Amino acid sequence: MRYLLRRLLLVPVPLIFVIAFVFVVLRLTGDPVAIYLGLDATPEQEAVLRAELHLDKPVPVQFGYFLLDLLRGDFGTSIQFKRPAMEVVAERLGSTLQLLSLGLLLAIVLGVLGGVACAVWKDKVPDFLISVLAVAGQSMPSFWLGILLIQLFALDLQWLPTSGQGGWEHMVLPVVTLATFLVPNFILVMRVSVLETAREQFVVTARARGAGPARALWLHILPNAINPVVSLVGLQLGRLMGGAVVTESIFAWPGVGRLMVSAIFQRDVPIVIAAVFIVAVTIVLANLLVDLVQAAIDPRIRLR
Amino acid sequence: MRGVLRTVVATALAVAVGASSAQAQKDKDTLVVGASLFTDSIAPTGGAYITLSLCYQTWEPLVARDNDDKLVPALAEKWEAISPTHWRFFLRKGVKWHDGTPFTAADVKFTIDYVIDPKQVYARKTRIAGVTGAEVIDDYTVDIKTASPAPLLLRGLADIPIESKAHTEKVGQAEAHKKPMGTGPWKYVEWVAGDRYDLVANPDYWGGAPAMKKLRIRAIPEGATRVASLVAGETDIIEEIPVDLLPSVEKRKNLRIDAVESSVSLVHTFDTRKPPFNDVRVRLALDYAIDKQMLLKQMLGGYGSVLDGQLVTKATFGYNPNIKSRPYDPAKAKALLAEAGFPKGFENKINTLSGRYLSDVDIANAVAGMMSAVGVKTSVNIVEGGVWSQLDRTREQGPMYSVGWFSVGDADFNTVWYTEASKRNYWTSAEFDKLWLEARSTMDEAARLKAYNRMMEIMHEEVPSIFLFGLPRISGRNEKVSGWQPSRDSLLRLNKVSVK
Repeated sequence: MRYLLRRLLLVPVPLIFVIAFVFVVLRLTGDPVAIYLGLDATPEQEAVLRAELHLDKPVPVQFGYFLLDLLRGDFGTSIQFKRPAMEVVAERLGSTLQLLSLGLLLAIVLGVLGGVACAVWKDKVPDFLISVLAVAGQSMPSFWLGILLIQLFALDLQWLPTSGQGGWEHMVLPVVTLATFLVPNFILVMRVSVLETAREQFVVTARARGAGPARALWLHILPNAINPVVSLVGLQLGRLMGGAVVTESIFAWPGVGRLMVSAIFQRDVPIVIAAVFIVAVTIVLANLLVDLVQAAIDPRIRLR
Repeated sequence: MRGVLRTVVATALAVAVGASSAQAQKDKDTLVVGASLFTDSIAPTGGAYITLSLCYQTWEPLVARDNDDKLVPALAEKWEAISPTHWRFFLRKGVKWHDGTPFTAADVKFTIDYVIDPKQVYARKTRIAGVTGAEVIDDYTVDIKTASPAPLLLRGLADIPIESKAHTEKVGQAEAHKKPMGTGPWKYVEWVAGDRYDLVANPDYWGGAPAMKKLRIRAIPEGATRVASLVAGETDIIEEIPVDLLPSVEKRKNLRIDAVESSVSLVHTFDTRKPPFNDVRVRLALDYAIDKQMLLKQMLGGYGSVLDGQLVTKATFGYNPNIKSRPYDPAKAKALLAEAGFPKGFENKINTLSGRYLSDVDIANAVAGMMSAVGVKTSVNIVEGGVWSQLDRTREQGPMYSVGWFSVGDADFNTVWYTEASKRNYWTSAEFDKLWLEARSTMDEAARLKAYNRMMEIMHEEVPSIFLFGLPRISGRNEKVSGWQPSRDSLLRLNKVSVK
């Protein structure tokens, strides 16, 4: 419990750094007023909007105002949407979490099964095939894979829609694209982990006591081999979010990733920071969850 | 194990069947359009010009543009200039707002007043700069006055949607801008930012009820996905087919490509304040170094046009028919460079945005290659939009940069970028500035045309930019779609479109 509390108390530290960095970089590289009003804005009109957004003050003062508002839970008003930034981000969050959680789940299931298969049939045909596929999957850019999947499943076979949000059939291609991005890592880690665990004394002992290969695998090896994959999940979350940006663009999926990219182009700082904040909090919490799950699986790990 | 396998197979079958039946169910009454640009808001105060494409599904201006950039009556049936600074508009009678209340002069006055209010942020306000106010004469007559003669007022009004006074006062501006309630052909149903805009036909529309019962405009930013959605039959019409995907659309028998030359002129502008481009011979040399016809064919699929050695396209008011594009002549380019003291060329750089204009980066790369071929070693620098706009305001784009200037039909709107008044110009000419100001402050159309024609001549001689292309707008549609035409000004006009 104390461990949990300490972890949670440390959450704001990286967040403040991230927010300060995003704020300063976006302010210095582009002027939201100029972008919003376009090329032929009049000086008077710019002055009005600048004052409205507190952009007429020096950057450190602006950041001070921003932090004060943040402490009150106010992320500011989006320039583009004319609505509270957090509200806009929260609306899109569901779509992204749907994609991410399903993608992650699929990646874990395929990764674990693939890794186990590789280990069981080490140096045989299945190991070779799966490893080759894994390397190919890892080296394939997700935008290209996405377009190939659209070509095959939406155009040639006409089983699935090309893009957009709707029923569950709209989720298949984006989820598969996102999972393909992660599966290879899981397979490779799982394979090595299973092979290493199989050489451990307790496995040898179990076999010596008469446990068949299947029993040894499912009861003795797997529970001990799964932990590296769980910690990999924590490490991969950031990458997954990056993958979501690309996947959302290809499949016209109205999620936070696309929102964030367009907000960056518009220098819509409140939206970018609200989105970064939510993503960072999600990643931190997910990592915490990973730690807890690991401790639950493996009694050797103590939360201190 | 067998049970698991059975479940998997059953699920897979359900996927296939379920999905295909879902596709077959595509609503016959709905027109689905795949949009390339989709703004984050449908409020008319919005920044991006493209917001208008969504606004004008529900709202309408007093005077509208058609697909060819010609002005046509909309909420105003006719108009007259009582004096150069005093216009009278006679409003269309019997027009109803979507809530059933009648449209009157009070709505026009309300809209104009709030748009010109200095405290109101309204991005397209400058389009009617100089308007001092609107006055209601009777329910169907309204006067608009300007500070000085305003030949561009009508074109400017085409970018201002008229909003309902009573409705805005009742629900507040924020709400009125969130759920548009206009006089236009389509009625608001639902807006999902980043995903889609759903509308239904307005059966009482004064211009005749739309041919389709429902309209859905979908945001599909990725070009390949947009094309795939058209091929799969999920969309009936898509905007902006990427040039490299044209062949794959052309080979599909059930798809059609419609292209029109837009009023966007793509140019590569020089920083004429510094050497080497302060020497007109160097600028001329590079103009001769570019094979524009070949680029048009390779980079724009042969759609659009090569600009005739001037800033504006043929369809724009101010076009000078006596000026022709300079031929491709690398030998002459080399001779001119030598004459200017650069027999061995020099290092050069082109700044460009990526994806803002059709094939922008590809064109910049090809131009750089052709310049390098005559000895001017040119590299291309892709700049992110926000940074680009900062460079633009500080006039720090570097020796050359690529930009597309909109005219929406009148030379005033894009020649301004070459005047001191714009504060964005690199090249300058006192005569040019004087003509520009004259042309925008007289009501005499012939005098205006003459001024623009002379301005085009000056630019042709002085080469402040390499005038490349009138960019095309290339849209795709299913063969079942009729009544569709892409527009020069990039707005979607969909009330006459039907799907068999």
